[in-house]
Amino acid sequence: MARGFYVNMGDDHPSALGVAPSGFREKSDTPFQARGLARMKEVFIGSENLLKLIGRWAKDHRVYVPVTFDIMNNEETPDYDLVKDALPETIQLHGAAPAHSAKTFVFYPREVVANYPSSDAEANVEAPSTVVVGPRGCDVRGLAKFDKVYWSTKHFTEEHDDPFIIEKRENTYIVSIDCTAAKETCFCTAVGGKPFAEEGFDLNLSPLGTGCIVTVGSERGDGLLAGSDDLLREVTQEHKSERDKNRASVTEAVDRQNAQFAVEQPYDKRDLASSEDAWAYVTQNCVGCGACNRVCPTCTCFLLVDQRAKGGYERSRNWDTCLSIGYARTGGGGNSRPALAQRLENRLRCKFEYSRDRYGLVTCTGCGRCIDACMGRIDMREAIKHVITEKAKV
Amino acid sequence: MKNLYRPIESVIEDIKSETPNITTYRFRPKEPISFEAGQFVELTVPGVGEAPFTPSSNPNITDTMEITIMAVGTVTEALTKMKVGDTVGIRGPYGNGYNLTDFEGKEILIVGGGVGLAPLRSLILALFDDVDKYKKISIRYGARTPEDIIYKDLLPEWAQVKNTEVLQTIDQPHPKWTGTVGVITVLLDDLPLLTTVDVEGLPFSPETAVACVCGPPIMLKFVNIALLEKGFKPENIYHSMERNMSCGLGKCGHCMMGEFYICKDGPVMTAAQIAEFDDPF
Ligand SMILES: Cc1cc2nc3c(=O)[nH]c(=O)nc-3n(C[C@H](O)[C@H](O)[C@H](O)COP(=O)(O)OP(=O)(O)OC[C@H]3O[C@@H](n4cnc5c(N)ncnc54)[C@H](O)[C@@H]3O)c2cc1C
Ligand code: SF4
Ligand code: SF4
Ligand code: SF4
Ligand code: FES
Repeated sequence: MARGFYVNMGDDHPSALGVAPSGFREKSDTPFQARGLARMKEVFIGSENLLKLIGRWAKDHRVYVPVTFDIMNNEETPDYDLVKDALPETIQLHGAAPAHSAKTFVFYPREVVANYPSSDAEANVEAPSTVVVGPRGCDVRGLAKFDKVYWSTKHFTEEHDDPFIIEKRENTYIVSIDCTAAKETCFCTAVGGKPFAEEGFDLNLSPLGTGCIVTVGSERGDGLLAGSDDLLREVTQEHKSERDKNRASVTEAVDRQNAQFAVEQPYDKRDLASSEDAWAYVTQNCVGCGACNRVCPTCTCFLLVDQRAKGGYERSRNWDTCLSIGYARTGGGGNSRPALAQRLENRLRCKFEYSRDRYGLVTCTGCGRCIDACMGRIDMREAIKHVITEKAKV
Repeated sequence: MKNLYRPIESVIEDIKSETPNITTYRFRPKEPISFEAGQFVELTVPGVGEAPFTPSSNPNITDTMEITIMAVGTVTEALTKMKVGDTVGIRGPYGNGYNLTDFEGKEILIVGGGVGLAPLRSLILALFDDVDKYKKISIRYGARTPEDIIYKDLLPEWAQVKNTEVLQTIDQPHPKWTGTVGVITVLLDDLPLLTTVDVEGLPFSPETAVACVCGPPIMLKFVNIALLEKGFKPENIYHSMERNMSCGLGKCGHCMMGEFYICKDGPVMTAAQIAEFDDPF
């Protein structure tokens, strides 16, 4: 009952989050399919050696690792930092997910996408080779939404491929890490996910007491290990059972905290088309700040903004939030979602309903970031439970 | 890779005032942009921003493009300050237009409200280029006052085109107006009669006719109801949908309505496609 309760995992949606088993894309001739390996290779690396390996990567790539920042209130929030000359002292490869999702590396908060009046027909993209150590299962699955929206699929033709996302996606190595602890707000298993990645990574790290199992997920991930045989060992049966035990215990922990938010019937199309009152109730403490959109690994929306710049004008692409009143505003003052409750409804239905209808993806990965970020303490697990329960009453 | 977000430099070649707040601009893009009737472009006022517009000129003319624009806000007001010879940016075309082959042999009802006649003008001009292919073209246009009527000089010309009629109304009585008065739906009242009675010798049969509608949301709503009542099939009623748009490419999310991107699946959408929404307009 508890598992997958937000999603009707019927036959029409074999993978709730839509990451096809053989890679990211629907088309066969795509870079990511080429990256998939027939059989995943596994090796063991000791803790000290892993740090050395990361140090070696930093010679050829920009490398980001999760570190803990001591913030004013002493809360230790892991988030990404760039590896410079030495590895940051507070590097943290275990525990729960970093504050930012992996989207930040392929979809910048602000990025110049055109200079005009005179500009090249070709896109001028800055996408240095980057290794991101730290995305969790939820982050990796979140990237699937970017691939759907920004890359040609059956929904979009090639002429609509977005060079700014694609080139960064192609130049970004994903080194995912199994969660070894769940935050109170994590609910990945309720939306068909797992607290570890099984596909869509270049390398995956499964932290153990004395080191990590490194799983190779792509040819180029294998390339990150090339020349570092001195640091690697063979995986033993003990390593594997330690990993499996860890994975099972985190999965169980997430399942346990999901139980209190379980709804009677599985979610189906239009179940979130509930009464205005139900949405108004869950929106009471929302201030429309859009933090939930910004931290979300699957919020892909943006606004183009033009301004004067050296030699003419520049157009930048900026993260946008569907919680803001201007988002759906049309010329002359029209607005298809003038009320905040309509906009919060739009956000949650976008995740569970609209993207599913459009892309076959439920785009909430259960990462819990929107709950962590909300100053109104709006918990989407409670919100959905409330809306579906109210709907069932009528 | 090609840059999707790059505006193509376009010079303003002509400016014609239609009403106190509506103007038709003719642009000459440095790289030709060809479009289908009903598709739209993103127009850039340099340094100010972009806004979506459906060209109002004949889609069979590709070296220049006309757009009829009502000044309502930041971008459209900034445009009114520009002069012949100034440069703007255009990218596109985007979205789905009308599939004219579906219209062949049929009666075509065109319903425009206010500046909503502008996007329909490119359709009308495309239809006129092949006027013999269509059984009848009936243009029904509503404006608030006689001053708000656009294409004042063109409407009488259109009425002279073979198999074409033009009916007009204004919302409120006006000393200078001798024609029909009332909101646009008054021009649809006679439709069921047209199946049996000739009006100006031109019969009309809603079951097989197509309707192309463009105007403010409230108008779309009531015209949609009226046409369905008259017996038009939902799949034959084509609405020009308006939503906030930023990219025009199905990426930025602004135009989304449920699972639809109006910029890709629209802006022209049939009443059948949007039937699942309580209030799509
Ligand atoms: C497919 C399509 C075709 C169209 N064709 C035509 C046409 O042929 N002729 C015509 O006249 N019009 C047409 N329109 C309407 C036209 O696009 C709008 O009138 C135009 O976008 C208005 O832009 P503006 O900057 O002048 O108006 P504004 O009202 O200043 O701006 C509207 C835009 O600015 C933003 N904005 C404004 N205020 C705020 C705020 N307070 N907070 C946040 N954001 C804000 C909104 O995001 C919105 O995108 C069409 C629209 C669509 C979608
Ligand atoms: S973070 Fe919370 S308060 Fe802010 S917009 Fe989202 S739901 Fe509303
Ligand atoms: S909606 Fe919230 S929990 Fe779901 S993926 Fe987005 S940030 Fe994570
Ligand atoms: S929730 Fe809102 S901001 Fe996020 S992807 Fe959906 S429409 Fe865009
Ligand atoms: S206008 Fe950007 S998605 Fe439609």
